Formats: sequence, structure tokens, C-alpha cells
Amino acid sequence: MQDTIIENEKKKPDGKNVIDDGVEQGLAKLTPERISSVINQVLTKEVGPRFKAYVETCMRCGLCADACSIFLSNDRGPEFSPAAKVKQTILEMIKKKGNVSKKVLKDAVRISYTECNVCKRCSMYCPFGIDIAYMMLQVRRICHKLEITPLYIQDTVNSHSATMNQMWVKEDEWIDTLQWQEEDAREEFEDLRIPLDKDGADIMYSVIAPEPKFQAGLIYQTAVIMHAAGIDWTMPSFPGWDNSNMAMYTGDFEISGRIAQAHYEAAARLHVKKIVMGECGHAFRSVYDVGNRWVGWSMPPVNLIHAIDFYHDLLTSGRIKVKEKYKKTVTLHDPCNVSRGRGLHNKAREMVNILCESFIEMTPNREHNYCCGAGGGVINCGPPWKGTRMVNNREKKEQLERTGAEVLIAPCHNCHSGLEDIVEHYGIGMEVKFFGDIIYEVMEKTVYKKNNLKEG
Amino acid sequence: MKDKKMWDWETPRKEIPIKEWQDRFVWIEEPHVSCDGEKIASIVNTDEAEFNVCCNGETWDEIFEKAWSLKFLPDGRLAVLVSNDEEWTICVDGISWEKRFDYIWDLKNTPDGSFIGAAVQKEGLYGMVVNDTIWDSLYENISGTILSNQGASAAVVQVTPLGQGDIEGFSQGIFSIAVNGIAHPESFMNIWDLSFDSKGKQIASSIRKNRVDYSIIKNDALWEKNFQFSWKPEFINNNNSVIAPVRQNGKWFLFKDDMPLWDKSYEQLWKLALHEDGRKIAAIVSDAFGKWTVCENDTAWGLHFDTMISNLFYSDNGDSLIATVKNQGYWDIAVNGKSWNIRADKLWDPVVSSNNEILATRMEKDGRFYLVVNGKVYKDHFDRIFEPAISPGNDKILLKAVKNGIYSRQILTLDKVL
Repeated sequence: MQDTIIENEKKKPDGKNVIDDGVEQGLAKLTPERISSVINQVLTKEVGPRFKAYVETCMRCGLCADACSIFLSNDRGPEFSPAAKVKQTILEMIKKKGNVSKKVLKDAVRISYTECNVCKRCSMYCPFGIDIAYMMLQVRRICHKLEITPLYIQDTVNSHSATMNQMWVKEDEWIDTLQWQEEDAREEFEDLRIPLDKDGADIMYSVIAPEPKFQAGLIYQTAVIMHAAGIDWTMPSFPGWDNSNMAMYTGDFEISGRIAQAHYEAAARLHVKKIVMGECGHAFRSVYDVGNRWVGWSMPPVNLIHAIDFYHDLLTSGRIKVKEKYKKTVTLHDPCNVSRGRGLHNKAREMVNILCESFIEMTPNREHNYCCGAGGGVINCGPPWKGTRMVNNREKKEQLERTGAEVLIAPCHNCHSGLEDIVEHYGIGMEVKFFGDIIYEVMEKTVYKKNNLKEG
Repeated sequence: MKDKKMWDWETPRKEIPIKEWQDRFVWIEEPHVSCDGEKIASIVNTDEAEFNVCCNGETWDEIFEKAWSLKFLPDGRLAVLVSNDEEWTICVDGISWEKRFDYIWDLKNTPDGSFIGAAVQKEGLYGMVVNDTIWDSLYENISGTILSNQGASAAVVQVTPLGQGDIEGFSQGIFSIAVNGIAHPESFMNIWDLSFDSKGKQIASSIRKNRVDYSIIKNDALWEKNFQFSWKPEFINNNNSVIAPVRQNGKWFLFKDDMPLWDKSYEQLWKLALHEDGRKIAAIVSDAFGKWTVCENDTAWGLHFDTMISNLFYSDNGDSLIATVKNQGYWDIAVNGKSWNIRADKLWDPVVSSNNEILATRMEKDGRFYLVVNGKVYKDHFDRIFEPAISPGNDKILLKAVKNGIYSRQILTLDKVL
């Protein structure tokens, strides 16, 4: 795997030159019969009238093209326009009745997994509202069934399936990490708890697995915020604690459904009123829109809110008070899945204004914001694809630079990681932060209200 | 479990003040109450990195650096996971087990409380401990631990190491089922939903053969058919048969021994409930997207719920099929197709009287906790409430609750409640 990464780095960053071992090994095993069988199974048995309507409605008007930051980042290369991505992938499969070459499939992997963030910005500019992200996800579904998914994201999905979290975090490691953070946070509040499996708590807090794996300090910060706000909360010690879902993005809808089921079953088992999830966009899409619906829940069966909603409530209700506003100039990146997907952009701005002295809008913004370039599982395709991701993120880089801000707030894990890559790669000189980082820094470290029994 | 007839069903009210505990300790965690309601206990912090358990005002002799997962066993004993000197074990009624581990979690017990088990990690390897005896073999990883009613233990274990990013190795199948520590020779890509038979002798589970094919395994015998997905199987028919929800052509079916059992298919079908060894079989189903109901022997209730059905079970005599449901954002209980309509914010599964005539549970509504019996909300409200119990004569309710810092154990005659 390391050899492949080095090999890819030597080459000009062009997706067509990338060698991904997972894709290459999968392609080597395919026969023409299997290729056509899988494609036709998906096209005839899985996709519905919606798919047919999209295929028949697209007029190739090209209005989607300028909506795509990857198209803009590649000097408006026609093959990068959303409509062209459909044409090169799923339309080719339909046209050839599934009898496509391995070359077409390899291109389909590249285009659908790494040159489309399934961010849905193009759908807003399509006169017919065609959901091109949905079309790309059907391509990914076919690739998943043909076992030609990129290696790194497939490994993540393997972890999901075996552990119900995306980072191979073992059950004891998860609990031990929470207890370690709890212990550390008692330096600030001696009676602070991260209550595990507290039956009947008001709120279950869920995170994505990179937090316990690499960013445990974020759990610490949340614990401090929860404690200071006097929230009756809990976290499950058992699987279901990870709200992330890369299976949704590889096309493994079955594992995606099992992940969402485990998440909501955890909340039901703990008898909580509400799930508050950390600052992650794709995870929100998974549990609010995708995974839950594959299972059959038309809406989240347990009330679920993103951290933006939650923190907004804490700040506007006075449960968390700002001691002194954040001094540095900040800008805000609106994550696709909670802005276009949920409309939280105005609440996010209200929070910035409560927390920070100086706010500079980036343009475009709110639901029109460009994707971070990492979303839709693109960053999860890993190091082999990082070079082309940076090329594809040029427009985002320019958007960030235009703000001139010192700090970039990105309330989403994938965005956060992707934007850090852009900042580092292009030498922009911005700090990337979560809302939780800022709140923790500026909040009054006092407890809003104690329960009668001093229970933590 | 201590015979319910031996419980005190006569004393109308007993009280234990717990508010004063907060003056004795640095802080106290949420309380737990014994089945008979005679004991209330919490993990308490006594000093920096010093924890103890306080039960009815008395603390244990030993102090721990860490303690979590406190629970009363059905026989009234109190178990908790504890750590000292970076070693973990289980402490029961103040007496720690001899075996020590690098970590311990997932505390569980048999219905009578005679077997206590947990998942453990020792020197980077994983297994289970039951009544202070650890498995002979330990593994790379463990998940999905279960205990049979007789104390047999089982889990999904990783039998082959896996390198970083080794998707080819993963596809070869690295997981197996270990029963009492002994791994089955067959390994699979994924294994979930372990299920013991009623005697704890056989085991079944959902398995994933490859990227797209799922099936059911009973001991070492795989069903021949491949499915698009499956959920937890159950044993029926004197443990000779296995039934499981399976997905085919985008729909869910109930299969028995690899063959269709019910005629109808559903948008979703899971969480089987059984009575009399499978003479009655019920499941939570969705028969249209976003609409949930209960299906018994392939016949669905006429009642639908738009949010969720969290649990489904039969009363002991099988006359009542009880579901904990959520509709339009509120929790409710439905019995044999009829809802109580209590619109709870939080709701727990009810307990059922031996004559099947009384169902009692607890709920939270508008920030207050209530006892609910047969759909009727008892007049008093509390700050916290615990699982109620019904007397052996089916004429009294044991109410266990905290209000204003005082824990009360009350015996209520039915006429007071209904």
C-alpha cells in the first residue's frame, strides 16, 4: 500500500493515473458476465421511477456545470461537469446494457468516488432539480457490488461492519477513552462526568469514531460544555455510539442500514428524549436522511439534532455564557449536509456573532457554499487520491483566500480534515476550528444549574 | 431471583433519605434500586480518584480508583465494574473477584442472577469471564457477547489478525463464533445477532459470506440460500428449528430452516417475539414505508405507528402481545392491537401480572415521572422512578421512586391506582 502511495505522489496529480490497490485487485477478478449481471441487476431491480425520470429528463443544458467546484477547479473541463459525469458512467452502462469494459468501470470509480462530492449543489442549479448525487451513488452501488471500491474507504466500511464504528475502535478502547477524558476534565470541574449508559437521561451524545481514535480532546470539550450547561446526558458504552457511515457512500446500503439501526437502537435502549450529534455533516445525512430510511424509518425515530442546533440553543438560552468574545477574524464554512441538507446556516451565523468579534462571510455562502472538497467519502478514499483532491479543491482554496480571515470555522469533521489539507497544501495560513473549540475557549466555566441531588 | 412471595407486600411505605448523601460524598451518581425495592445504591465519589458504592447509606470497605456500570442482580446482590492499580474486575456486594483484567465491560447476568459475565481484555487479547472464570482461549477482538439462561457464554471473535487496510484479508473471513471460549472452525466476513437456544446448547446467528450474500447459521450448519440481508434468528420447536427475518428482492420475509414461514413480505421485519416455543410468533414489521405495526403469525395489527416500535414481547401466558411504540413523537404501550394513548416523553417496557390482567410501567411526561398501570396514570409524580413490580396475588403494585431527595418504597392496592 505504501509503495502505491509513493508511486502516486511521483506522478502528475491526475485521477486517471492513480493506482488504487482496492480498485485494481477488484477489477482483475471481474468477468464480462459478472459485470453485466451486476449492472443490470441494479438498473432493473434496485433503482426506481426516480432514476428513470432523471435519465429521461436531463436536457444536457449544462447549467449544472458552473455549480460544481470540481468543474471550476479543473479550468471548466467539460468532462468534470456533473452532466458529463453521469454521461461517462451510468448512461454508458445503460447504453451498453451493462456490457462495459473494465476501463469504463475504472473511470466510473474515479468519477463517482473521487470527482463528485455528492454535495447536491448542482441540483440547486438544475432547472429540473435532477439529483445528480443520487445518480453518482447508484454508480457507487454498482462498484460496491462489483467489489471495486477504493481501498481506504472500503477498509473503513469493513470496520463499520465488524465493529459498528469506522476506525476499528475496539469496545474497551472506546470506553477507556471516555473515562480518560472524563478524568482529565475533572481538572476543570471536580465532579464532571461523562455518564455511560445512564438510563433515562435526556440526551444521548454521539460522535464519529475519529474522535476517540485521534481527537479525544473534542470529547473532553463537549463534556465540559455539557457539564457547564447542566445537561442530563449520556453516551452509550456499547456499539451504536458512532453516528458516522461511510457505507452510505460506498454503496453498501445494507451495512449503512445496520449502522443507522444500531445508532437509534442505542438511543431507544437508553430511553433518551433526544440524540445530539457532534460536528459532523455526513453523519447527519446518514442518520437523518439515508441510513434511517433504508431501514424503514421515514424520519429519525428518536429526535436528533446536529451540534449547531444544540450549541445554538445553549448560547441563546443562556445555559452557556460567553466570558469574552473570540478576538481573531473568523469565517464560516457551511457544510453541505447541514446547510443545503438541513438549513442550519443561519443558526451557525448567529452563533458566530455571539462567540466572535469579527466575522467575514465567504462567498458564495449558506446553501450556495462550495463543498469542502472532502465530502461524500472523497477524503476517505485516502492517500492515493489526495493529489487529485487538491487539484479538485482549487476553487475552494480561492474562496477561502478571498476572505482573508485568520480562522475558519468548519462544523463538520470531513470538512475540517479536507479544509486542513487545503490550508496546508496551498499554504493559506488559516486555523481550522470547530464551534466546540471556540465555545470551549470563550465560555464561562461555571455550572448553569445543579440537579437537586448533585448527580453528575 | 428471590421469591416475590417473600417480599414485603404489607408495609405501605418505607423511606430512605438520599439527599443527605450529597453532604457525605463529593458527588453521587444516579441511583439504582433492587427488584424488591428494599435497597437503593449509587456509585459515590469520596475523594480525588476515590470511588465507593453506597447502598442504603452504607458504603463498602474497599475503595476504588474507578467504578462504573453499577447494577442490582435479580437476587438482590449489587455488582459493579471496578479498577485499582490499573487492573479491572467485578465487585459483588463489596467483594471483588480474584481474576484481574486490563479492561472489563458489558456486564451481564442470567435471569436468576446466578451467573455474572462480562467481556474482558487481558494483554491485548479478548474474551469473556463468567463467575470469575475466564475463557481458556482469548482472541484478537470480541463483540456481541451473550449469556444463555443457563450461564453459557458466547461472542463473535476475531480469529485471524488483520493488517491495516487489508481488504483482501477481510474478505477471506476473520470472524468466528466462540462458545464458552471455544471458537467454531468456520469463519466469515461478518457475524452478528448471536442467539442461544432455550437450553444454552446450540447457537444461531446472522452471517455475511461475501460482499453481497448474507445467510443464517445454526451451529455449524449454514442455510443454503443466500439473502440480501438478515436480522437476529431465534430457536423454536423444541430447539430443532431456527427462524429468522431475511431480505430477498428488496422485501423482508420470515424464514424457518431456510424456507419461507410466513406468506407475506414486508418493507421491514425484525425483533421476533415467541410464545410456547414458537406456537405463537410475532415480529415488528413495516408494511409500508414509514408505517410500523406488529405482525402475529403473519397477520398484522390494524394499528400503525409512524415513528418506531422499540420492543415486542408476550406475557407469560401468551394472551397478551405487548409493544412499546412511538407515534407522532410520543411513546405509548399497545396491547393486542390497542394503544393506551398516554403520550409519554420517555417510556419503559411494562411488567405483566401472572394473571395477565395488569400491566405496569413508568414514564416521563413534561419533566415529571409517573407510574402507569393499564394505561392509567397514577396521581403522584416523582423526580425519578424505577421499574414497578406486581404482587404474586396480582392485587398490589410496588412503586419505587424518588421525590425531594427521599426514596420511597410504596405498596399500592389496585383500587388506589386504577
